Amino acid sequence: MIQLCNVGKIYANGAPALHDINLKIPSGDFVYVTGSSGAGKSTLLRLLYCAEKPSRGQILMGGRNTTRLNSRNIALLRRDIGFVFQDFKLLNNRSVFENVALPLQVQAVSKQEIGTRVYQVLQYVGLEYKLQRKPLELSGGEQQRVAIARAMVVNPRLLLADEPTGNLDHDLAVEIMEMFNRINESGTTVLIATHDQEMLQRFPRRSIVLHDGNIVADSNPPAPEPAQEIC
Amino acid sequence: MERLRYFFQRTMFSMRQNPLLCSATIGTVAIALMLLAFFTLIVLNIQNLAREWSRDIQVVVYLDQVPSEQKLQEWMDEIHQYPDIEQINYVSQQQAFDRFHARLGQNSDLLEGLMPEILPASLEISLTESARSRTGTERLIELLKSNSDFHNFRYGQEWLDRYDAFIFLLKLTGTMAGGFLIFATLFIISNTIKLTIYARRDELEIMGLIGATPMFIKTPFMAEGALQGAIGAAIALGGCHILYYFFLKNGLAALLTTATVENIQFLPIEYQGGIILLGLFLGLIGSLLPLRKFVRI
Repeated sequence: MIQLCNVGKIYANGAPALHDINLKIPSGDFVYVTGSSGAGKSTLLRLLYCAEKPSRGQILMGGRNTTRLNSRNIALLRRDIGFVFQDFKLLNNRSVFENVALPLQVQAVSKQEIGTRVYQVLQYVGLEYKLQRKPLELSGGEQQRVAIARAMVVNPRLLLADEPTGNLDHDLAVEIMEMFNRINESGTTVLIATHDQEMLQRFPRRSIVLHDGNIVADSNPPAPEPAQEIC
Repeated sequence: MERLRYFFQRTMFSMRQNPLLCSATIGTVAIALMLLAFFTLIVLNIQNLAREWSRDIQVVVYLDQVPSEQKLQEWMDEIHQYPDIEQINYVSQQQAFDRFHARLGQNSDLLEGLMPEILPASLEISLTESARSRTGTERLIELLKSNSDFHNFRYGQEWLDRYDAFIFLLKLTGTMAGGFLIFATLFIISNTIKLTIYARRDELEIMGLIGATPMFIKTPFMAEGALQGAIGAAIALGGCHILYYFFLKNGLAALLTTATVENIQFLPIEYQGGIILLGLFLGLIGSLLPLRKFVRI
């Protein structure tokens, strides 16, 4: 469960980014954070993975107040979170295998287990045959799948994605969204910041709409109408 | 073990991946430390020379009468009780006359017809190295004065004052210039490593995102800095040795006119080890300083 209580964020230059945000995201949920550019979507995500501290309010994740964590505990918290970004954030001088193995190396997982888990997750995203390639030798969609594999290799409880389809064409975006759905079905909480309305309509889920740092809507998709029996 | 292997592999990989930046850092360290090693070499040789000069610092006690062997032994025993005494040398009237004769050289015939008794016998007292100063000499004279047989002394006051001033100046210059060179080296190394880290800031960000602790992120960079520092220091020593062998040895001998080429020495092994350690330490600190700014989780 993620809970935000009266969270506000004002940047050091005085620019307000979020106002009085109250939010509850149950475990296993799939949530979109949407809104126009500058609405505060990325700031909300940055607060969730502790890249920023809120100017006021509390953020609870799994019962822990993340605003009071020191840098070591923040690092430990992030081991339970997977990240996917619009610009992939891959290390271009390392192979696909090395990029995906990185979170496991950080957690001092044994070499044998790293090999097994990285191969499995690359199979999951369909890139097991490109594990020796460097990211820049791959297409945008493939790079994003590597980023997803890196996020998934640690079996995170939460997956945060910031505009994950922003750099991809329509077909690749659909492919990536389908992958997020499958990840969510396996029990991972997924939170995606996006302004891609087409994806929101194609994969309808709970949507939190931000505008000028305020939540202006928080809605679930309409339940599918029950099929009428024809007598 | 896995973690150690990872750090070692990352350090080596990173140095291979960025050969240009790596060479720039090593080169900067080498040049900066070569200046420092060169300076140390000069100061050390001047200190050695000063130590040689200081052997001449001695107190001469002129004796009114030639002492009996028993009396002489009594005095020697008494003086040996005083602190910081290195050596006591009795110079008889004949020895003093011979020395004077030798010193006059071609004019020694002026002494013809004169007897050795015209010169007094004396005791030449040398002090240990730490006491070879005006203070140490005056302390000894105070002690000697407690014996009524000793009242005529010579210890080259002016020369001692000049020697003390020279040693003070040498220490002051050495400390100030050495300190300045170390800080300048640290500043240069820190800025060069900052460039390396800046070029890899994406990697730092990604490492932070995937749950690496600050120490885990910093360690390979610090190891890289330390290794580059040590390699740079080794190159600096090599360069300094070449300079010493081909230029400095003869140059210094000519500059410090009283020394022969053989007296000009290269840095002793403990100083060489010290410079390698200094390079390692400067590389470590030089990388730690910019890392504090860039690694923020």
